[in-house]
Amino acid sequence: MVVWDYPVEGKNQEPGIWSKMGAEQMNPAEELKQLFPDSVISAGLQIKKPLAIIKKEDLLKVAGKVKEMGFDHLSVITGIDYVDRFEVVYNFFSYTKKQNLVLKIILDHNNPEVSSLSSIWKGADWLERETYDLVGIKFSGHPNLKRILLPDGWIGHPLRKDYDMNIEQFVTVGEDGEDIVSTDGTNLLRR
Amino acid sequence: MKTDELLINMGPVHPSTHGVLRFKLTMDGEIIRKCEIVMGYLHRGTEKLGEMKTYMQFVPYTDRLDYISAFPNNYAYTKAVEELAGIEVPLRAEYIRVITLELNRIVNHLVMLGSLLLDLGASTMIMYGFRERENALQLFEMLCGARMTFNYIRPGGVREDMPEGFIPKLNEFINDMEKRIDDYEQLISGNEIFMGRMKGIGVMSTQDAINYGMTGPSLRGHGVNYDIRKLEPYSVYPDLDFKVCVRNEGDSFARYMVRIDEMRESLHILRQAVDQMPQAKPVSLAKYGIAPMTGASTAVSTYFPRIFTPPPGEVYSRIEAPKGELGFYIVSDGTIKPYRIKIRSPSFCNLTAIPKMVEGLMIPDLIAAFGTIDVVLGDVDR
Repeated sequence: MVVWDYPVEGKNQEPGIWSKMGAEQMNPAEELKQLFPDSVISAGLQIKKPLAIIKKEDLLKVAGKVKEMGFDHLSVITGIDYVDRFEVVYNFFSYTKKQNLVLKIILDHNNPEVSSLSSIWKGADWLERETYDLVGIKFSGHPNLKRILLPDGWIGHPLRKDYDMNIEQFVTVGEDGEDIVSTDGTNLLRR
Repeated sequence: MKTDELLINMGPVHPSTHGVLRFKLTMDGEIIRKCEIVMGYLHRGTEKLGEMKTYMQFVPYTDRLDYISAFPNNYAYTKAVEELAGIEVPLRAEYIRVITLELNRIVNHLVMLGSLLLDLGASTMIMYGFRERENALQLFEMLCGARMTFNYIRPGGVREDMPEGFIPKLNEFINDMEKRIDDYEQLISGNEIFMGRMKGIGVMSTQDAINYGMTGPSLRGHGVNYDIRKLEPYSVYPDLDFKVCVRNEGDSFARYMVRIDEMRESLHILRQAVDQMPQAKPVSLAKYGIAPMTGASTAVSTYFPRIFTPPPGEVYSRIEAPKGELGFYIVSDGTIKPYRIKIRSPSFCNLTAIPKMVEGLMIPDLIAAFGTIDVVLGDVDR
């Protein structure tokens, strides 16, 4: 069992918010490792926050348990391109237990695909779409996985390290309101 | 009776979308059956830009995210870098930061109130709101020369100390503002038409609000007693006395009232910060020759080297920005540039809840609910 740092109680802070938290409260990452010894690759810390690295096949199973453990707020989903692999990081917070938890998935660079969490946390919907849009990670089981910030038909995923910055892309709005992307600007010409 | 559904396009250029945002509304008569949001018209690729700038160079880009309240953006990024590299900041700088953050919270809520009332058809409040905002902007101008994009809070501290005469002007603003908030309440809160437009509109259950990832004042209007300033105290907030403003109704009116209460709390924090702030210690110029070197330690900033390489690692750091939880996820690979910056913007995540919130309402109610979510499109699209 690991005891990790808590924020310091301020001198003017109401008692009660923190008094509920015992000093030896269980580290949620360690708890997950005990519950799913096969699914959790390792448990550690990400600067004061408990971190668990999960096998990608077991994400939905573990995430369901994470929700049961009281982590009701999904702060952010981050996709990172490490050239040889992709990592997807989920930052959770629990309003009831006042705890943080970080889950991390490591994906193959050739086929980055992981299950969607949008069925458990509705807020994951747009965050996953954004990760798909900018980093190019596919979320299987997502109800509406399409680009959110960039126009449909955009070439490449900008936050990948191999994204070609020299391609110029021109976007116009077509007659039915759909986006038209071209690389030579022909769609900008008026006819 | 079953009628044909009609697709209505609202935006991207529409006065009540506060920028460029497009709603695709499937209407059944006057009732919204489905609301789809199209965004990205203001996408500037800030996260990609961050990978090409050094840690210090990225600070001005954060100003352009939520341009109504730029100090919290500066601070959220700065806090992430400081947490990553373990930089200690002088106490006086922390107090100056808190003063700017809380002033900016008031400015943000004034703009929000003004534009909300303007969207509902009452143009008085935006005049009043912008009148008081002007006073705050003059304070910002005094502090750093800029009125909206400050580049003032930076890793290691703040850019320069407060000028002479800032504190008296600030006190004047606080005393003035105290009365103004009462005026606003008299003008708006009890107004029959306003209440009719706001009460019971855009209702969402607490569970749903949390599940959709809403944060900040919008979530506190749903009865969640949470505030990152209390939960994960940062800066000097643990030494300041303030309460978390919560309303339980979960409708547009509750979200509006939270803003009014928060402005009062911000004034309360400002008063304490001014009282408790340590005096500036004179910095010996002799140590540096004629003038202080760029990046040198002063009373309000610690030494921050020009070639700054934090240790490899990653951090997610969040603050309670006026609109909600603003977080920066920074990955460092030990070089002078960040490997990856992810911005968790409150506007983007709060907007997720809108389609669910407005189902079954009418278009004027969409505007009322959308106004109380308080979205800035620079923050949504990044």
